[in-house]
Amino acid sequence: MIWLIASALLFSIGAYGALTRRTAILMFLSIELMLNAAALSLISFSRLSGSLDAQVVVLFIIAIAAAEVAVGLGLIVAIFRRRETTSVDELRQLRG
Amino acid sequence: MQENFLLPLIIALPLLGFVLLGLFGKRFGEPAAGWLASLLVLGSFLLGLFLLLQGGAKWTLAEWLPGIPFSLNLDNLSGVMLMVVAGVGFLIHVWAIGYMHGDPGYSRFFSYFNLFIAAMLVLVLGDSLPVVFIGWEGVGLASYLLIGFWYQERVNADSARKAFIVNRIGDLGFLLAMGLLWSMFGTLSISELVEKVEAGGYSFTTLTLAGFFLLIGAIGKSAQVPLMVWLPDAMAGPTPVSALIHAATMVTAGVYLLVRHAFILHGDGFLAGLIVAIGLLTAFYGALCSLGQWDIKRIVAYTTLSQLGFMFVAVGVGAYWVAIFHIVTHAFFKALMFMTSGSVIHALGGEQDVRQMGGMQKYLPATHLHGLVAAFASGGLVPLAGFWSKDAILAYSFEFGPWLWALMLLASVLAALYSIRWYVLVFWGDYRGKAHPHESPAVMLWPNHILMGGALGVGFIGLPYVIDYKNFIEPFLTKAIGDFPHEKLPVVTEWVLIIISAVVAIAALWWGFRFFQQKMPAWYERFQTAALQGFYADAVYNALLVNPAKGLAELLFGGDRGLLSGFASLGSLMGGLGALLARLETGALRFYLAGLLLALVLLVGWGVLR
Repeated sequence: MIWLIASALLFSIGAYGALTRRTAILMFLSIELMLNAAALSLISFSRLSGSLDAQVVVLFIIAIAAAEVAVGLGLIVAIFRRRETTSVDELRQLRG
Repeated sequence: MQENFLLPLIIALPLLGFVLLGLFGKRFGEPAAGWLASLLVLGSFLLGLFLLLQGGAKWTLAEWLPGIPFSLNLDNLSGVMLMVVAGVGFLIHVWAIGYMHGDPGYSRFFSYFNLFIAAMLVLVLGDSLPVVFIGWEGVGLASYLLIGFWYQERVNADSARKAFIVNRIGDLGFLLAMGLLWSMFGTLSISELVEKVEAGGYSFTTLTLAGFFLLIGAIGKSAQVPLMVWLPDAMAGPTPVSALIHAATMVTAGVYLLVRHAFILHGDGFLAGLIVAIGLLTAFYGALCSLGQWDIKRIVAYTTLSQLGFMFVAVGVGAYWVAIFHIVTHAFFKALMFMTSGSVIHALGGEQDVRQMGGMQKYLPATHLHGLVAAFASGGLVPLAGFWSKDAILAYSFEFGPWLWALMLLASVLAALYSIRWYVLVFWGDYRGKAHPHESPAVMLWPNHILMGGALGVGFIGLPYVIDYKNFIEPFLTKAIGDFPHEKLPVVTEWVLIIISAVVAIAALWWGFRFFQQKMPAWYERFQTAALQGFYADAVYNALLVNPAKGLAELLFGGDRGLLSGFASLGSLMGGLGALLARLETGALRFYLAGLLLALVLLVGWGVLR
């Protein structure tokens, strides 16, 4: 149960960070926090129910997160190379 | 009569000309296109003559439409019409080679002309009513295309549309007649209908109704009162068109249709009375209008109306072979009259107002001779073609009732007057215009020579029985139309009628010859003002039909516009809503993220609280 509370705490911190940080790197970090909070809650649910299924899912999440970090960081580096900044408030071209 | 595969070839020849000239007309060049078209029509004529001399032919394509074969039938009646259409048509084609010289639409003209001949031959030869209808619509289309041939001028295009729209009323009658006959007899083949009508076992009232619808079709095509308004305006086309389509052939299609269906009309008092009344009205209307016109082609157009009225009267009194006889003689002298007018127009460089003519006998001697013969034949001078056919109509009218004979005699007096008025205004007196008239080339003179021969002599195939006991055309035609025996007039009466009509015609021609050379008295001027407007028939139709229809159209258009603007404002409303929502697309990443989280909180909250 405590792990669930920890997970919720972790998610909230991540959400807060994603909303307040302006640097793409820190926003990315916060999103990672939220992702891991989700993984943590899955594991705690798995302990509560006594089934290992959720733990398998979490293994997958970790593997995918590794790939995702590579892609995400690559994108941020590319953006920085082009624009000399990673502040998301200045990247407003993404609109219809 | 037997199946003959050559029969469809008669139609295919001019159709081939239409396709060739329509697709490659420019490559043929100026005279070649005209000669090709003419020779194809001549081919049709010779082929038709060959088959007619063999005693007719049939051709059937069994499975055309379900239950309806595509059948053609060349019997004596359609044979005579074929001779007129292809024969006179060939002459007019040749004449047009000269008349259309230098026109930018030279090959287009001949391609339309060939299309007309093909369609007219389908109409004439068709044995099954849908086949006839194809020809019927085909000639309407060709007429539309040719009236509006010089379509760059709005008035020509309007005239073409007017002809087409007015004809549509008649076409509706034809369609209704077909539907009714199909529901009554289950067949649309004319030769089968003849047998079924003879066999009996149907309601006579319904048959009368079918005949009435056919009559409406004929009225439209033959420009009878009350659908006569399109024919004078149809003169907007080139003169060969007026000669071929709006005088010699197409407008007689209505009469031909009625004669073809003589087995339906015969013995029906209501229809007979109606046809006679319509014919009489048209004969008078056309004659009186013609006397007031100044445009040379409109003069002749109204005379055509009047002569078509004569033919209708002939059909109404049961003289079916006489109606066809009059078609034949009329085709010769009216085509001659038109082409003489055309030669004069040609000589004067496009002048059509008779007030700018006069004295042409000095300048155009050959054309003057043609005009003289045409006017005399049309006016009914003994022994020219027009006299014999008109006399036969008068004789049958006398059998119908002496009052009708008296009225028809009056109409033929008017016919003599308008013929001689046309002649006097064009050929006599002094030249009133400023152009330098020149005689037409040989290619335009020779067709007129031949037509003149016809206008002089073709009447002798149908002499009254007191002169020639068995004339050629009556037994020839009744074989195909059906024999409807009638009491022949006593010899003395017949002679008296012939002499009266001959003397009256000569007197009227002479009086008219004197009268139209002098200055017109005041009463004639007043009459002329009304006649020039066609006695305001167009104005009446505009007030009663055209303008209310236009008003309705405006009203509906207004309604449409209201409806459309309603839809347009609905569209702009949706657009505004979209623009409002588009403002949420700020491009600020953190704004989107806040939205996402807000939605997440709301969804989870909703899921928990539910």
